[in-house]
Amino acid sequence: MKSDNYLPVLRKGFVNGIAVTFTMVKVIVPFYIVIEFIKKTGLIPVISDFFKPFMQLIGLPGEAALGLMAGYFINLYAAIAVITPLDLSAKDITIAALVLGISHSLPLETAVTKQTGVNAWVLMFARVFFSLLSGVMLNIIWKLFS
Amino acid sequence: METVLVALKDSLILSVKLFLIILPLSIFHEFLKGRGSGLSKKHFAFLGISRSGLVPLVTGIIIGLTYGAGVIIHSIRTSDIGKKEAFLILLFLSICHAMIEDTLIFVVIGANGFILIAFRFVLAIILTYAIHRSRIFRTPEGGKE
Repeated sequence: MKSDNYLPVLRKGFVNGIAVTFTMVKVIVPFYIVIEFIKKTGLIPVISDFFKPFMQLIGLPGEAALGLMAGYFINLYAAIAVITPLDLSAKDITIAALVLGISHSLPLETAVTKQTGVNAWVLMFARVFFSLLSGVMLNIIWKLFS
Repeated sequence: METVLVALKDSLILSVKLFLIILPLSIFHEFLKGRGSGLSKKHFAFLGISRSGLVPLVTGIIIGLTYGAGVIIHSIRTSDIGKKEAFLILLFLSICHAMIEDTLIFVVIGANGFILIAFRFVLAIILTYAIHRSRIFRTPEGGKE
């Protein structure tokens, strides 16, 4: 790349970075505030108890189900805004990050996958299935080594 | 009211941390696009992915499906990538994509980044290899089970 090409590229990257951050802030701030309010209402233990049997399989507390759903249906920024105020342990955050890293923004990313011409539904189910399976596996592995 | 202010402050602090990660990444992304496909010489042949499949694969692994969508869709549609290979690429990417950003934003809130990257790479390789070697694509239609 010629040196006189650096500046426009740098500029474009900078502008994109600002744009992405703006999108992110619009998601994170309202979600964070909503979760703080839900924490105040005492609903978290109710939600937590409801999801507990299932979430135990992947070694996460019940309330983390909220974060997983936010990530699956919306995006990772929403998931992070939900998970951060829940004050989870490093193990829980790593498991949630693995599950969410594999499977997130499903409506948007399934649409992208579909555009490439492959069977997007098969891949969407594969993502959800393997994200949860990975959670179960990492939970077991983590317990073995600690 | 106090709850809102505390949440507002905490969420903005989190946003600033994420911004510090996203900004250099998006600049890096632009430079990467400028360099084009000369990026990788390694073969993913054992996974059933050819040289032309490396462009969408590497784009997806580094940048992700959301921001890499343009490059991934274009490169798969306009090259000689077959239906089976396209499926294998997207399968690999389903498990293993946006490895830099996704990992770092979770590291910010306390996750172990090494475990995340290692686990996803290994799982993606095993799964893609298994499907590549399986009989799923031997049927005339291909692409479906």
